[in-house]
Amino acid sequence: MSRGPDADQDLLRELAPQVLAALLRRHPGAFDSCEDAVQEALLAAAEQWPAQGRPDNPRGWLVTVASRRLVDLVRADRARREREERLFLATPQSELLGRAADAGPAADRDDSLALLFLCCHPALTAPSRIALTLRAVGGLSTAQIAAAFLVPEATMAQRISRAKQTIRSSGLPFALPAAAESAERLREVLQVLYLVFNEGYTATGGSDLTVAHLSDEAIRLARLLHRLLPADAEVMGLLALMLLTDARRPARTGPDGELVPLAEQDRSRWDAAAIAEGTALVERALPAGRVGPYQLQAAIAALHDEAPDVTATDWPQILALYDLLLRVAPGPMPALGRAVALAEVHGPASALEELGALEPELERHHRFHAVRAELLARSGDRAAAAAAFRRAAALATSLPERRHLSERARDVA
Amino acid sequence: MKYLLMTYGNQEKWASLSAEEWPAAIAQQDAFNKRYQQTGELLGAYGTADAAMSRLVRRVDGLPVVSDGPYLETKEYMASFYLLDCESEQRALEIAADMPWADREPVELWPILHEAQ
Repeated sequence: MSRGPDADQDLLRELAPQVLAALLRRHPGAFDSCEDAVQEALLAAAEQWPAQGRPDNPRGWLVTVASRRLVDLVRADRARREREERLFLATPQSELLGRAADAGPAADRDDSLALLFLCCHPALTAPSRIALTLRAVGGLSTAQIAAAFLVPEATMAQRISRAKQTIRSSGLPFALPAAAESAERLREVLQVLYLVFNEGYTATGGSDLTVAHLSDEAIRLARLLHRLLPADAEVMGLLALMLLTDARRPARTGPDGELVPLAEQDRSRWDAAAIAEGTALVERALPAGRVGPYQLQAAIAALHDEAPDVTATDWPQILALYDLLLRVAPGPMPALGRAVALAEVHGPASALEELGALEPELERHHRFHAVRAELLARSGDRAAAAAAFRRAAALATSLPERRHLSERARDVA
Repeated sequence: MKYLLMTYGNQEKWASLSAEEWPAAIAQQDAFNKRYQQTGELLGAYGTADAAMSRLVRRVDGLPVVSDGPYLETKEYMASFYLLDCESEQRALEIAADMPWADREPVELWPILHEAQ
């Protein structure tokens, strides 16, 4: 096991949520102070461990340092002399470090889950949830998160501090929600991780190594969630969907950063290990019980990834999965995916007919026009296809997509 | 997604505001700026100088040629621009509708597709 700075970084990021949870357990009303204290402890460790060696009990070390910082922060903030905080100051260090004999891994697990649920609380806006999750659970610094989202650090700091204020002022509990609420809240957590993944997947990836790659980060957090809830089929589904999608990353862009569509990708460049892991997860999740949208989308991704080339794709099976997906999670986007599969199975004419019904909802969405354009091109209506590609390009939300669609418009004309 | 919010006008329009009205108008704009800086959604707010100060720059035979701008046929000039970072177009439209100047003139909202890294 190497003990370089990278190994330290990995360990620190793994311990960050555990240390924060240890402080929050003692001190549930001061999320923001706890979180600041943990960040400072992580910084201190990153500076000291490489030079002085890693302590025997890294987690204990971090909890001790963070607790001391918390005491300083609370003392410095005279406005927050609440009874609870004074009680906290009277709590001996040993209480924070020592654990009851019965507090085993389960307590850790519940704490990490409670932390995820807190960061993804519906009282927060989506950008706040994402930022807080990456910082408190992912252990990323504000600077890293700001760089990943291309906003100034001051903006991100503002966003995070307002999110923490919201948590404090709305008195959100640091505890696992009741069973009835748990499923609903877990959906919020999955949604946040999925948003982080998509942000990383669609962003034009820079080569800056100091910028966290958001899709890697999302996969890391989904793995954590899967460790915490090993039996949950939708968690397996989400992790599988991420792995199976991310497996295509090396083949998704050409040498000049241009988009390469699925059908034209060099499949030998796909990440076979990620595909194997994702496929195994899907196969475990589907029979496990309640089939949800993430499992179905993962199953569709697995079918694409298993085909040695585009012509070998099992389109009838994909069409059947889309039918199921539309039953459990109706919406215009899965309906658009279904239209693509329908065209592969029954030809473009029937699919174009289906698209007509989706137009009112998706008229301003570039994917709708791109799919329609491909189908028009296939049915031989080149002029209409070119017009639809141009419309898609005009509505595209990322530059590589816009370039790709403009090129398709030129190609078919 | 990031958005560029722009206001336009010309000397005639600025002059139509009386001297007494300006402090209130500026205070309103400052309040708008502060409000969205605090939510982390306003990345920057910039006001441009008068059109008399703007220049057109071309390169002719490899050499720069600078002349007075903007184009003569332009009736209105950009007066200020704001860089936003919002979670949805819906939210960007909400913020644009909150612009004090939107009472007098429409404001333009453009999605930003690309940013150099």
